[in-house]
Amino acid sequence: MEDQDYILFDDYITGTLSKEERLVFENRLKSDSTFKKNFDTFKELSSFLENRFEPETNAFMDNLENISNAHFDGMEEGTEKRQKNRFFGYGQFAMAASIVILLGVFIFNQFSDPAYGDYDDHKVISLTVRGANDSLSKEAEKAFNSKNFIEAETLFNEILSDDRSNLEVELYKSIALIEIGQFGEADELLWGLSETNSAYANKAKWYWALSKLKQKELEECIKILKTIPKEAEDYKRVQKLLKKLQ
Amino acid sequence: MNEKKIHDDQKYIDGLLKNNSFVIQAIYDKFVPKVINYIKLNSGNVDEAKDVIQDTLVTIYNQAKEKGLQLTCPFDAYFFLLCKRKWLNTLKKNNKEVTINEVVLSEDDDTQELAFETALFTEKQELFNEMFQKLGTACKDLIKATFKIKSMEEVAASLGITYAYARKKKSLCIGKLTKLVQESPKFNRLNY
Repeated sequence: MEDQDYILFDDYITGTLSKEERLVFENRLKSDSTFKKNFDTFKELSSFLENRFEPETNAFMDNLENISNAHFDGMEEGTEKRQKNRFFGYGQFAMAASIVILLGVFIFNQFSDPAYGDYDDHKVISLTVRGANDSLSKEAEKAFNSKNFIEAETLFNEILSDDRSNLEVELYKSIALIEIGQFGEADELLWGLSETNSAYANKAKWYWALSKLKQKELEECIKILKTIPKEAEDYKRVQKLLKKLQ
Repeated sequence: MNEKKIHDDQKYIDGLLKNNSFVIQAIYDKFVPKVINYIKLNSGNVDEAKDVIQDTLVTIYNQAKEKGLQLTCPFDAYFFLLCKRKWLNTLKKNNKEVTINEVVLSEDDDTQELAFETALFTEKQELFNEMFQKLGTACKDLIKATFKIKSMEEVAASLGITYAYARKKKSLCIGKLTKLVQESPKFNRLNY
């Protein structure tokens, strides 16, 4: 095997050969079986090395480790709690129960379960104008900020019909949809947004979780909240809500 | 294999590839409890199950990334079979003699075939890792930097060599690894 061949293999894989050189290379692959066998191994090793050392792989391993730890720690806590409960005597139980009932009467209203209404304080929005549709954007902003969500949703749709890839408007549209109770469409939009690499991904996750909260799908809500990373703007609120829910 | 219909559960593979936390979380919620149960039933504990599961998910990720893994069976069956075999291998390596308590789960031909491909893939990865360690330090460092930094100009600058030399050397280092791998008897057995 000539060194020159290895250089050629790498040039082919990295796309640095000219069109003519590629053709010659591909013809040789068809006619020379040893050349092809060597190339296949070289290519397989290149993919192996690329995957092993590129930063994306590390990011995956770290994320997997975190989710795995959270899952197994949660299991242990569950077991500990169950074990403790076993040793909880009847006397203590009766005493605790009466205290709970007494307290419950007084504080029921103040400490009830978290609800969507606790978190629907959307900030005043100001749309970035991307096209010529300045007045339409202004109208949509006004409708949204004055909590006229039905009208806002219609106006957002108009903006999106001209500018399909406007993620900012997609986010506001989904908030409007949650407000008017069209959860199916809202959830679908938010899921899509949360999968993007955009600046709106974490916000979308937060509102997706709130949508589930409003629908009283608490388990789904918890699952989504757990995927929101530390650097997210809403991280503190996420943690507070998680505590209340768990 | 490409002629077979891709299963709807391919979404789990795609989710792993995109490092989508929601999908990974869903895998842990839906499919992991059964694996833990199986390992506990067969002389293992929760910590051992945790490792087997994590290793298996990394293998699936690697195979999807390097080989474009396409799922032709349910994810549940495939994932469970991989974890099960990994655990049985661990028991074997540790010379633990145990009676295997099987759980009933359908393992059809597609699942068996796909799990077989994954087993081959894993053996090859182990061989590649082993041979990579045999390269000299200069080659190892250059290869690591190349794939970590991705821009050959920056790689060359960081190692204090010229761009042209860095490119040539990278090709030759992977070439050397190709030779080492091809000369190994294990490779010829795997590359039937």
